[in-house]
Amino acid sequence: MSRVLRSLRDGIGFDTLLIIIALSYLFVFAGLPLIYNVIISFQRVDVFSLGTLWHPNVGFENYERVFNDPLARRVLINTLIFTLGSVAMQFTLGFAAALFFHQRFPGATWFRGLFLAGWIMPGLVVGVLWNWLLSGDFGVINHVLRSLGLIDSAIFWRSDTAWSLYAVMMANVWYGMPFNMILLSVGLAAIPDDLYEAAELDGANAWQRFWTITLPMMRSTIGAVLALGVIFTLQQFDLFAAITQGGPAGSSTVAQYWSWELSFREFDFGRGAVISVTMIIVVLFVSLIYVRSTRAETRL
Amino acid sequence: MTRLMTTTALALSLAAGAAQAQVTLTLWTESASAPEGVFAREFSEMDNGITIDVREIRFDDLVADTLRAFATRTNPDLIAIDNPDHAAFSSRGAFLDITDKVAASDVIDADAIFPGPRSSLSWEGRMFGLPRASNTIALYYNKDLMAAAGLDPDSPPSTWDEFLEAARALTDPANDVYGVAFSARASEEGTFQFLPWAQMAGGSFEEINAEGVADALVLWKTLLDEGLASPDTLTRGQWDSTGTFNGGNAAMAISGPWELGRMAADAEFDWGVTLLPVKEEGGPRASALGDFNLAIFANTQHPEEAFAFLEYYQSQVERVWPEFTRLPSVAGVDLAPTGNERIDAAAAVFAEQLESARNRGPHPEWPRISRAIQNAFQSVLTGAAEPQAALDTARAEIDRILN
Repeated sequence: MSRVLRSLRDGIGFDTLLIIIALSYLFVFAGLPLIYNVIISFQRVDVFSLGTLWHPNVGFENYERVFNDPLARRVLINTLIFTLGSVAMQFTLGFAAALFFHQRFPGATWFRGLFLAGWIMPGLVVGVLWNWLLSGDFGVINHVLRSLGLIDSAIFWRSDTAWSLYAVMMANVWYGMPFNMILLSVGLAAIPDDLYEAAELDGANAWQRFWTITLPMMRSTIGAVLALGVIFTLQQFDLFAAITQGGPAGSSTVAQYWSWELSFREFDFGRGAVISVTMIIVVLFVSLIYVRSTRAETRL
Repeated sequence: MTRLMTTTALALSLAAGAAQAQVTLTLWTESASAPEGVFAREFSEMDNGITIDVREIRFDDLVADTLRAFATRTNPDLIAIDNPDHAAFSSRGAFLDITDKVAASDVIDADAIFPGPRSSLSWEGRMFGLPRASNTIALYYNKDLMAAAGLDPDSPPSTWDEFLEAARALTDPANDVYGVAFSARASEEGTFQFLPWAQMAGGSFEEINAEGVADALVLWKTLLDEGLASPDTLTRGQWDSTGTFNGGNAAMAISGPWELGRMAADAEFDWGVTLLPVKEEGGPRASALGDFNLAIFANTQHPEEAFAFLEYYQSQVERVWPEFTRLPSVAGVDLAPTGNERIDAAAAVFAEQLESARNRGPHPEWPRISRAIQNAFQSVLTGAAEPQAALDTARAEIDRILN
């Protein structure tokens, strides 16, 4: 007994105890809901049986119905375009801004801080603002494009099936860019200045310094930022709710919005769960990349 | 010692009395300035020991939030709910059966409630709520713009053909004026706006692909394709669409009486309301029966107090028109003059339109039925499907839900 106590106070037992606490927290608040989500994807669940723990089993019926839905293909393509497009643009713009503010000029840190103003706003507020900007008849964006002579007639960003997904993407890029910038700025700041000085002495120009020092030194940060970007983009819901509601005619419906629609518009939680289970698998893969890149960081 | 005990007992009984006197109920609604919100505040201020906390929830989120709350038993005591959503709750026993309470009540007369609203809140012959009011949609028109376009402002369009011609004549892109504003959004609002047209063409929600309904879709598509209505019609709700009418950017608008107050304040032109145009001269009229019902949740701790509020609501029902421009759902209530002649003229039109208003449902799975109808008109309006094919698809889906 006293050996156990001693081990708890000082030694392997204490470490195990700490791990158990963390693991049980994870299990209760992340593991159980995930498992439950997988279970209800095989069950018939509506609102009025939502409160009960067990529901009738339907096997793979929910999966068949979701994947055979006429909307499924559209949703898959939309989700791919939206996620890859958003992440690519957020990252590129965020990296450009991070490099820009990394230069030492008066007010650089201030401006960088100001950029964060967009990111700290709630998604729904951002959505409502962009809703006005993107409005077809009275929107600011159309007005600007028309004044510049770039377009002759208004583009109905939200209501044109060719544009609706990109309308939300624009808002999402604007919304997520500052976050990318801040994380990348941190990565940039961690690169020792003497590396650059040495390279400069050896005659490396700015482009060579970026290519041979900045990028390789940032590899783990970039991996983490991209992985987080994919995860956050797959979670983006508010902007869809505020700007297009997935419409018109499903042209801007992405997986996460569809899942919500099935669960909370049609109240078919089983089919909603099918989509979230599928998304969990994707996110799991992305998380592996994230974990790997942060592990590289600790080794560094 | 005895005195101490008596004092304690007295204090305890006082505390108990105070506790009993202070019953707090919660009411969820889309708008605290709607009649139930205003009446709830008045009811709370009365000396009846009942306080009602009114919580406002966005219309789009009301059902989802309520369901979530109900699933975790954190639902309110009272709710004002859109009438097509009522059956989902009453059929599953979420709402309190008030049939016997109503029968015993001196204030509420069940037989005075109009059949439409009454059926929306009934399930298997029992009553599960009280109608807040009724509304329906009709055609608003800008008399000044009509006169300017050479149309007679005193004879607004009464058939689909006249309506389409008027929309063409009134559309004026140079001045940012569309012929008509309405909502074909993929939400319950879109269904609410589309069903009357389908019904005037001989269809119904059960027979959405009936012969002639495709004509309604063709009409809607013509309005969009010819630029007679804003492309944003596809994503805009009724309130925002009618806002463009009030701003002079649309010459006609299809919406309900809830717009009257704002229109009277905002519109800087002469306007009127007329019945929805029928398909052909003498053809059947139709419109959608809208507005909310008040219901008590079956799991409330205070059914008596909650019912007392319904009785208070009913006692104030004659104020629903003049103060809120909503039509009472009970017989024998005159639409009192509001002092605004345009609103008073609209009263008669909406009252007449309401006679042809039909229920959506009642069906516990109405959201899915509605969704199928929305898919049909949205796919046609975006050019993804042909009218009849889209309606056949919707019919197949609805049949699956109904059977």
